Amino acid sequence: MLLFLMSCAGLPRDHVQLGQLSDCPKQTSAMLVAKQCQLSTLSDTHTLACALAVLRDTQNPTVRCPSLGSRLCLYLAERETNQEKREKLAAEGVGFAEAALAQGASGDGEVHYYLAANLGLAVREHFTVAMQNLSRLEDEMKQALALSPDIDDGGPLRLLGALYLKAPAWPNGIGDGDKALELLKKAVTEHPGHPLNHLFYAQALWSEGDEANLPQVKAEFALGQKLLAEGNWGYSKEPWKKEFDEFQEELGEASY
Amino acid sequence: MRKICLIIASLLIPFTTSATPNPEMIVVCYPGGPVNTKDANEAMSSMLRVVEHIGQWQENRFNSLFITKTDDCRKQMAEKKPKFAIISLGLYLELRTRYHLVPVVQPKIKGRTSERYRVMVQKDKYKSLNELKGLTLGGTVLEEQSFVGKIVFAGKYDPASFFVLKTSNQAIRALRSLDKGELDAVILNEQQFNGLASLHMERPLEAVFTSEEIPLMGVVANSATTTLEERNRFGKALETMCTDTEGKKLCELFGVESFVTADAAVFEPMVKLWAKGK
Repeated sequence: MLLFLMSCAGLPRDHVQLGQLSDCPKQTSAMLVAKQCQLSTLSDTHTLACALAVLRDTQNPTVRCPSLGSRLCLYLAERETNQEKREKLAAEGVGFAEAALAQGASGDGEVHYYLAANLGLAVREHFTVAMQNLSRLEDEMKQALALSPDIDDGGPLRLLGALYLKAPAWPNGIGDGDKALELLKKAVTEHPGHPLNHLFYAQALWSEGDEANLPQVKAEFALGQKLLAEGNWGYSKEPWKKEFDEFQEELGEASY
Repeated sequence: MRKICLIIASLLIPFTTSATPNPEMIVVCYPGGPVNTKDANEAMSSMLRVVEHIGQWQENRFNSLFITKTDDCRKQMAEKKPKFAIISLGLYLELRTRYHLVPVVQPKIKGRTSERYRVMVQKDKYKSLNELKGLTLGGTVLEEQSFVGKIVFAGKYDPASFFVLKTSNQAIRALRSLDKGELDAVILNEQQFNGLASLHMERPLEAVFTSEEIPLMGVVANSATTTLEERNRFGKALETMCTDTEGKKLCELFGVESFVTADAAVFEPMVKLWAKGK
């Protein structure tokens, strides 16, 4: 826990009130773990909140599936429109993952992946806090990539690539356009079905500032948009659409 | 009674001036920087909120516009005519007369308010800058070729005709190319030079050219549209920034120890070099 407090600086500590839970099904953490695969971005918010409430009340954390609590928090955080609540949910997700690591789950790539995803979501609106957590983010994503490169349609490749793309570049930070391009190209090649893989690769190509890349930027962007429009991405669809819209605006405004 | 009114008026000055409804735009020019402008504007916003707090301005009194292309910067300086700007030394020297620019504060980094530029090559490959004639030179600072020629090389070499220039928006990429032998030389500023130790290069590098001390540029003001009081107030807020709880974090992140009042005399030799340069 001390390591967590030292390395994930500036995260909120208190939990979000999960609202009306009196009609939640009676379930134990063991039951929850048994049906964990059914809990996804397609699950409704109430179902996820009920599941999270069970995990919060679990006194024996070893019953928990290592990455489940962190994953639930990420799903809830991604769809939360209130920034403060979103950040608290994401910070709670970091806490679940940290607890799992402390209990020996360091060999589980999913734990590192959801820790990094939650941490990124918790700090991304706060420049100084984000900067303070950059190396922790990189470290967790690298471990996720080494252990479970294929989870979430190349999620570790996508997140680490995006981190290298958006972080301040050397010598001020870990940002590295070459590494970003390499990882995101691999993400679209090995996991071509995920819309964000194409969006981030388009962004990496765009950031090169090379006019020759423009046709490929547009092609990757269009493919990502098509996948988003036609796929069943559940509650992730709206926030991802916002990311696409923001980049489209940037593309429209800028000129090489 | 008159004295009391004056005291009240002076007490109100910070608040009446801060009540301006439209935020004051601060143009931030970072030529050659590999920066996501959205993120950079967020970083600048964090800094400006601290400055407003320290200077007792209303929150959001200032806004920033972050630019990485020199041409865009010239355009925005002309359009926005900002009272304050954060610009490179090259742009300051180019635009100082047109926009009545005066230096307000300089950053202090590792105890210094100046830096040296270096041309780096693979160790033992070239012995002097003259040997690099007609060969390739890369680096982010080449975004400002006039500055490199007139100030860094003190007018002795014209980069565009002496070298084959390979401009890059990423210093690390230029250094990787140097390491692979795809580039013959790379020009680095002090911060980039100090960062070399963190890179794992196949071949050791050495400097074949080191510039004279060149003052670091910080915040400038348009002396025709700002009063001395405004400049002092803005400067004072920046000088205090690195001791403020929140400001200190930002200073540490940017590697800046403090901001110090700029002495215009420090820039005079640069102004002369610029005027002399071709």
